[in-house]
Amino acid sequence: MKQHGKTFIYTRRIIVVAAVLLVYIWAFAGLPLLELKETSGEIVSAIFSGLFQPDWGYVYDPGGEDLLRGLLDTLAIALLGTFIASVLCIPFSFMASKNIAKTKTMVGSSKFVLSFIRVFPDIVLALLFIKAVGPGAFAGVLALGIGAVGMLGKLISESVEGIDLSAREALIATGGNPVKTFMFAIVPQVLPNFFSFVLYRFEVNLRAATILGVIGAGGIGTPLIFALSVRDWGRVGIILLGIIVMVTLIDAISGKIRARLV
Amino acid sequence: MIEFKNVSKVYPNGTRGLNNVDLRVDDGEFVVVVGLSGAGKSTFLRSINRLHEITEGEILINGESITKAGGSELYRIRRDIGMIFQNFNLVRRSSVMRNVLSGRVGYHSTLRMIFGLFPKEDKELAMRALERVNMPEKAYMRADELSGGQQQRVSIARALAQEATQILADEPVASLDPMTTKQVMDDLARINKELNMTMIVNLHFIDVARKYATRIIGLKEGEVVFDGPVEEATDDVFSEIYGRPVNEDELMGEA
Repeated sequence: MKQHGKTFIYTRRIIVVAAVLLVYIWAFAGLPLLELKETSGEIVSAIFSGLFQPDWGYVYDPGGEDLLRGLLDTLAIALLGTFIASVLCIPFSFMASKNIAKTKTMVGSSKFVLSFIRVFPDIVLALLFIKAVGPGAFAGVLALGIGAVGMLGKLISESVEGIDLSAREALIATGGNPVKTFMFAIVPQVLPNFFSFVLYRFEVNLRAATILGVIGAGGIGTPLIFALSVRDWGRVGIILLGIIVMVTLIDAISGKIRARLV
Repeated sequence: MIEFKNVSKVYPNGTRGLNNVDLRVDDGEFVVVVGLSGAGKSTFLRSINRLHEITEGEILINGESITKAGGSELYRIRRDIGMIFQNFNLVRRSSVMRNVLSGRVGYHSTLRMIFGLFPKEDKELAMRALERVNMPEKAYMRADELSGGQQQRVSIARALAQEATQILADEPVASLDPMTTKQVMDDLARINKELNMTMIVNLHFIDVARKYATRIIGLKEGEVVFDGPVEEATDDVFSEIYGRPVNEDELMGEA
């Protein structure tokens, strides 16, 4: 390596520091002035009192919309979305793996499709699907179902690229056709990782599903945005509590299962 | 019975893998193929079950041409030829039982195999195959929990469960130590005698080859330079196959 003089190193350091400072100055200069409304304090204390005195009556209401139904909807959206994604990602995962796909074009185009899908945040996809199929849980399911293909496909294809193909040769030698060879030599090696990634994506999708209702794609987000807009802080509190409990519970269960898989 | 009829293999880059090989291996023979690395031993073995394609000639398995066979016919012919590899080629994450059962896939429909449904007889057959290599107690362990020698014996059990009439073994002991080499070679010898399965084994070690073979085939640059009973394969013959005196590292020693 080339040896640099001391002055060179110092100059370089000064340039870096100056550049970082400039970026910060530019960013803060763009901020609007921090300005507290007169009512800000009041609202903050109302929110907190609502959070600590949640509307317990909303948890279960035999007659109509309640927390449990909202949470269940959210769970169903996440579950269905993940299921759809887990099926759709399978062909892409293998077509994007260098060691399985026959041609470079196939690998390249599959990888491109997967990256293209990953570009869109779930919320943008949900907005698109609301336009396409109308507001409601179905739009949410489609958004998560398509959106997760990008990440799952990438992770699974990477794990497929890491498998040992020697068993494939053995299965071919026993007289297995391509399907049998695939089922016996490839699938057992990929399956644990596949389930682990799908479960992980389910955790991510569950969080995403709680927010989808805010834009009208079904689930617990819808009552949350209504409660917020009418300043029903007690209801906001109980909904947030419900989300926290559900997400924590599912994370814990799914984490346990994943730990046993790999 | 395996017949090579004027078989040649030329790689796309012009290298000759096999050059006009013409020979016959009868049922129940224990053939050991020797030669330097790159002499075409592996190509010879893999062309028998068409893991490698040949470019000229024809190979017959029990009178049927595997060279001309296509689709399901090819799968059926391959079913009669077991294969053992240097690196065992097991599905390391799967259980020993499932690895042995994978020798049975050629006998069942694709749909049945997608769901991995093996009949009870297959499981009994697989268990008997494991008993023959003295490993029935390992049936439900994962393959990667076993030692190298044990894994190689599982792969022998897989070939047995396949109910093959011939077994090809490509350097089956090259990654094993002398002790396990003896166990694996003894297993192969026993199977050859008791079940009258033809063995075609590629070996690096000359003394191991002499101990187990009934017939030696010497390959040099893709050509058969020696083919005869083991008694005729003297040190001079080996020097000729290798193109130089026999080296120390081509003898295993205590095995």
